[in-house]
Order: sequence, then C-alpha cells, then structure tokens
Amino acid sequence: MGNKLQEIDLLNQINEQAAQNASRALSKLIDRPVDVGISKADVKRVEELSPLISQEEVVAGIYLPVTGDIKGAALLIFPKETAFTLSDLLVKREPGTTRKLVELDKSALKEVGNIISGSYLTVLSNVLQIKIVEHIPNFSFDMFGAIVSQIITEFAQKTENALVIELEFLFKPETLKGYFLLLFEVEQLKAMLGSVGGEALKTFFVDFPESTESN
Amino acid sequence: MSDTEVPMGDIAVAKGAHNLITSGVGSCLVITLYDPKLQIGALAHTMVPSSAKRDTQFGQRLSTHFPSEAAPPRQASLVAEHVSKKTKETKYVDIAIDQMLKGLVAKGAKRQDLEAKLIGGANMFPSIASDDIGKDNVLSAKDKLNAEGIRIVGECVGGSQGRSVEFSPTTGIVTVKVKF
Repeated sequence: MGNKLQEIDLLNQINEQAAQNASRALSKLIDRPVDVGISKADVKRVEELSPLISQEEVVAGIYLPVTGDIKGAALLIFPKETAFTLSDLLVKREPGTTRKLVELDKSALKEVGNIISGSYLTVLSNVLQIKIVEHIPNFSFDMFGAIVSQIITEFAQKTENALVIELEFLFKPETLKGYFLLLFEVEQLKAMLGSVGGEALKTFFVDFPESTESN
Repeated sequence: MSDTEVPMGDIAVAKGAHNLITSGVGSCLVITLYDPKLQIGALAHTMVPSSAKRDTQFGQRLSTHFPSEAAPPRQASLVAEHVSKKTKETKYVDIAIDQMLKGLVAKGAKRQDLEAKLIGGANMFPSIASDDIGKDNVLSAKDKLNAEGIRIVGECVGGSQGRSVEFSPTTGIVTVKVKF
C-alpha cells in the first residue's frame, strides 16, 4: 500500500484548495467576507451515513448529480436552523427573521450548493485529470433520513464509500456548520483512479476502511 | 414492551404490545402485513423495487437520470456480487415480502387473512421527475402482493414528503407522521 502520510497530505491539499475556492466564490455572492473551512473530512461506508444526523431531523438538502468520467452524487446538507440563518445572510434579511424557506431562499441555498460542489469537484477533476460534470442543483427541505436515503438508494448497488466533509462557514461572528457528501460509483472510480495512478485517493475512496485499519 | 426500530433495508415480525417503528422514509417503501385474527404483524423498510432487475435497472435509471448521456455498459456480475456481499437482500421489495410471509406463516398466520398497507415511495427531489424510484417501489409492491393474493387495505404513498411510521401488531393500526 502507498505511503499514508502522502495520502493524507493529498486529501488535505484538495480540501484546502476547494475551501479557498469556495470562500472566494461565496464572498463574492453575498458581498462580504466568508471563510469556508473544512473541519473534518472522513470516508464513511454508505450505510454509516444515516447516523450523521437523526433520521427525523428537518434539513435542507441540495443534491447535484455528477457525470463525466465518473458518475456520482454531491449532496450538501444544512440542519434547519442553519438553513434559516444562512438564508438571512444570503438574501440579506435581519438576522433571525427567516422561519420559512421561500423560493428565493431555496435558490440562494441551491447556489451555495453549486459553489461548494463546484469548488470541490474542480479541484478533484484537476488533480485526477478527469472530466467531471456537475448538473443543476435540486432542493429538498424535509427529514434527513428521507433525503439521504433517496441518494443512497440511487447508488446503493454501486457505491461502498462516501466522502463526508464537515464544513464550517465563518461569517463573522457567526459559524455555521453543514455537511458535504460525495458519492461515486465504486467500479468506475476504481478504474479511473487506477488509470491515472491515483493510488492515494484510491485508498480513501475505495479501500477504506480495511486498508487504513491494517498497517 | 419497548418498540423495535426497523432499519433501512430490514424487516421485522412482531406480536403483542410491541410496536414496529421506522423513520425518515423517502423514496423507500414501508410495507406492513397484519393478521387480525392472530394479532401479529410484520414491517419491511424496502429501498429498491425488484431483485430480478437488479443488474440492469440502475443502468436504465441512470440513463434517464442524466438524459444527455448514454448509460455505460453494466458489469452485471460485479454488481450482483457486490450486492450479495454488502447489503441485505430484504432491501428489495419482492424479497422483503417473501421473507415477511415466511416469518408470519411460521408463526401460524394464514395468507388469506393478511392485510397489507403501503407507506412511502415519495420523490424527495421532484425536480428530477424522470427518476422516480419511489413510484417504482410502489408498483413493484402492488404487483407482488397481487401475485401473492394479499389484500392491500391502505396506502399513504407518493408525493415529495418524508414520512415516519409506527405500526401496532395488536391493532394493525399504522400511524404516519410527516413534518409539514
């Protein structure tokens, strides 16, 4: 197996670059400085995604189908209150006034999904030198379990692992937390990473957790 | 007695004051079977329509999901192997119904007495209209139950809402909760 330190470095570099791109784009969108940080990046088995948030908790989910050289899904999740606070900031309302998401809020949140997912996938596409196409965002505001299970179901038979990225949005003085999930079809990903020599990422996406446990 | 939470892809059989619950049901389909004479019941939290189509349906699904691109050729054997290795077979609607029937009949239930209810089968992202796995789950369950001669006495399916389900094997009552 490859050098683990190098692998972690590469993933960290991808995360860092993606976070910088996202910060820049988001700051431009809302016209004030925003710092997007990645507080945690984990690869989890798909069946372990459900306990991230309680099944019945209401969340805003922004789902972007991913195609190109690899097929998959990008899903951005914000807990209800975070989605409300984010809406206040995005559409410039008095803080604490959003209690219901209207079309404008949904569009704004979808745009955040576009930015986060676009930032990440652009970096990934550059590093792996593969074509990744992100499609238009789809929005749902409902139980976490119901939203995430539909995405899992789409890929249930072809995905073992998902990259789970815990995001922090620092809109001073507010820090908002969300989750960004990336799922790729495992066989395609394996072939792709093999062909570009992406051994490091292969360990993360495909062979986890066995290969990280043994050592 | 305490309630039993049935995880996604799983089934459970219960008797007496022991409710079966499951939450966060989106495109998944919950199927309950109830024998009013014996007061026993079973609940399945299924995810995908049919085991028979497992090798091809996802290829077709993805091709409608991403209309601009043709679906790649499927590696059927790899997919099938992957499924049997990693996940429960009861995530398929048809297999789940078979397993529930087996479990209930083993406890003395008679097929002709059983009553089925269906809950879920929503599409949480209605903007992706061509990709309605929830609807496929409902159709598959109806076909299978008809083929097995089981009556469907109630349903709360479709739409774009998440649902939580509580099923009492004593009364056969199914309570569905939604957030909005």
